Amino acid sequence: MSTLKRADDFPTRRRHLEQMSDDELHAYFWALAARLVAPLVEQARSHTTPSIERSVLLRMGFSSLEAKAIVDVLQAASLLGRGAGRVVLELARTHGVSVAEAGRGLVDGRYRAEAPR
Amino acid sequence: MKPLAPTAKLDVEAVLEDLERYRPRRRGWTWRTTAARQTLGPFEYRNASAGLARSVPLPAAHAFGDIDPQCDFVITTEIASGRFEDDLRRMRMAAWHGADHIMVIRTTGQSHIDGLIEGTPEGVGGVPISRKQLRATRKALDAIEDEVGRAINLHSYVSGLAGPEIAVLYAEEGVNGAHQDPQYNLLYRNINLQRSFVDAAEAKRLMADAGILQIDGAHNATATAKAAWKILPEVLVQHAVNTAFSVAVGMASENIALSTVPPTASPAPKLRLDLPFAVALRELFAGYRIRAQQNTRYMESDMLETTVTHVLDTLISRMTSADIQSTITPDEGRNIPWHYNSVAGVNTARQTLMAVDGLLDVVALRRDGELGERSRELKERAVLFLEEILASGGFEAAVEAGHFVDSGLYPERAGDGIARDPVGGVGAGTVVARTPEYGAPVCSHFGHNVFMSEGGKPCDAIDGCTLCDATKIRYVDELDDEDNVHRRLRRPLAERTAGLIRPEVERAGDAVVCVTLFVAEEPQLAEAAALKMVERMGLVDAQVISRRVMHPAEGSVFEIKATLSDPVRRDELLLGAREPALADADIEAFVRPRQLHVVAATVGEDEHSVGMREILDIKHGGIEKYGFRCHYLGTSVAVDALVDAAVGVDACAIMISTIITHGDVHRTQMQHLGRLAEQRGLRPRVLLIAGGTQVTDETARACGLDAGFGRGTTGRDVATFIVRRLRARDGV
Repeated sequence: MSTLKRADDFPTRRRHLEQMSDDELHAYFWALAARLVAPLVEQARSHTTPSIERSVLLRMGFSSLEAKAIVDVLQAASLLGRGAGRVVLELARTHGVSVAEAGRGLVDGRYRAEAPR
Repeated sequence: MKPLAPTAKLDVEAVLEDLERYRPRRRGWTWRTTAARQTLGPFEYRNASAGLARSVPLPAAHAFGDIDPQCDFVITTEIASGRFEDDLRRMRMAAWHGADHIMVIRTTGQSHIDGLIEGTPEGVGGVPISRKQLRATRKALDAIEDEVGRAINLHSYVSGLAGPEIAVLYAEEGVNGAHQDPQYNLLYRNINLQRSFVDAAEAKRLMADAGILQIDGAHNATATAKAAWKILPEVLVQHAVNTAFSVAVGMASENIALSTVPPTASPAPKLRLDLPFAVALRELFAGYRIRAQQNTRYMESDMLETTVTHVLDTLISRMTSADIQSTITPDEGRNIPWHYNSVAGVNTARQTLMAVDGLLDVVALRRDGELGERSRELKERAVLFLEEILASGGFEAAVEAGHFVDSGLYPERAGDGIARDPVGGVGAGTVVARTPEYGAPVCSHFGHNVFMSEGGKPCDAIDGCTLCDATKIRYVDELDDEDNVHRRLRRPLAERTAGLIRPEVERAGDAVVCVTLFVAEEPQLAEAAALKMVERMGLVDAQVISRRVMHPAEGSVFEIKATLSDPVRRDELLLGAREPALADADIEAFVRPRQLHVVAATVGEDEHSVGMREILDIKHGGIEKYGFRCHYLGTSVAVDALVDAAVGVDACAIMISTIITHGDVHRTQMQHLGRLAEQRGLRPRVLLIAGGTQVTDETARACGLDAGFGRGTTGRDVATFIVRRLRARDGV
């Protein structure tokens, strides 16, 4: 719960807005909103999550059950930052098997994904 | 699946067949086909859309040639019983009443499941959303939209811990609309802030490419705040955060809808408080879609009170603007919505929107006075809120400080907002920085991705992802042998085969009924008595779901939910075989050459004339058109006068209308006519016919007449009866 307490100081706080036209006020509102979300967008651009990685694996043709198992293995190995899709694809290429087979092998321990040196 | 026949129930087993191979037939959202001006029956409409091939018109449409005009807004119904197989039937009913946006509420707890649900487990307060459930629902909706002749949008939620996965599922399975707003996760589900926004970017990217209409979650602040009319500056900020974030990840403005609710309900001076906010929102967010929701914050258990609020909410939509008019079932304040209350909610919107068609051609909002000043003030307060959030270190800092869902009218702060630790909450610590080598060889992926820089599509590296090649989608059927739709269907299907019929409000054969009782005692005693009375009716599990004091000493009215244990058997019911009405030409060929006279009147102290005029008048399709010589004596006519008139013109039939039923006066009048006709020797030569809203054929015949006609009777029905009787009598 918040502990912020403040009386309504709108009449004094708004003085700098008073002279703005409606159009200027609207443009200012959207400029502030864009500034506010910019760091959140940047964080999204440069980060990932288990759900994003599972969603990538779904798109690669894995079932939800397989995607979960693969991401659990990669999360434990601290490899999510490389991208689950990339790791599985590299395993497939290394071992000359299909993407599906590489995913299964990763889960049952036949193939091991390692961070690049 | 075979096309639906309007006279046959939806075959849920057929829906469930072959889902492994089902593919949705279109992607993305569909709006209604609007028409600037449209004439239907006696009226011209200015805010209408293409009509339906099949529907149930509004009750009063009977007086206007059974027209069923459709408004230009998409109409939403929220459906969630916990069993999607029962919801499918409700969707069909709602579609026949004008709904074309089906919003499936998710089961309690799905937002905290870190992954997808498969199969068809039963839900609580909503449906577990899974691939199988979505395919079955979309497949049923394909058939339903063919039946009613209008596209129906399927919608659910992309929130919680598995947002990106759910968005993939929706893109693959042709879901048309979805709620997506990371602030909802954060504020109401206590899901970690970073996780919510990072996931949201991926989910929004997927939705954007699939053309899925996004609805945000800002209305939840209005539904949660202690004083909903004070939280409006923050609501504008929440809309802005989700909208700006969505635009930044690539969503088109026409696929971004703002979910907005008029914040108050009477006895608050609702329109004066709600309109400035509605205007401010629409001006600030010009170019985006408006999804107008109805108020839930001040909903109690009284459905009439709720309906009045929702009518006014819908009026605000027409006075400002909307693209989607969402509906709230009027019983949401007392139970999980029932079938017929979902339909009632849809009808509240349909009825209101046709009633206010073209309203802005005759009235206008006064922007020059209080309305303009108040809406400007709300915008300025929202701007000041954004300024403070930025000055205090950004969104995360503001959330940590508890600026959101505070009941003060910003800049006032009441100190009761929801504060969240930006690095805490469910899913904390699961956000991982992408390395420079990060890669995801799939389409619709947001952010840094080495496969994006290789040219072509990112999924070329795997010869196509599921979004480009649907054959790669992996369908998972049931995971639980007990908790699945096939198991749940056994009982209702067996009962149907056995011919058992039970009442139902929510789930197949749930046997729930609602009894309305007024008890003329003080409230506590009255309630105890009402429950006992329901027990005496043979009902079990009685529970009061609504109570209203009429007077502290004179009595209260109760609505009581209970269960009827014993089913009715189909074979114990005697259904009278209904003979079809004769063709117009056949009737006229019999009547016109014979110059048949009828005398008619509304009898007793009864001034209702509309029903009888409809049966008689040629302009209403009455029996005059067949050549009957009609002698209409008017209203409040004595039965004796009617009999005299029949003798005078040698009528073949006497027709009485009796609407008032106080003290069974309709029966008395019918009996009087029967006796008098007998005494005067008119029987069986003169046919005696009664009509009225409470008249049935059975009661009329019990009163000594030849036939009775109730609600919904047409002139053709009455003429058919007369002709058949006269043919039988004369042997022709």
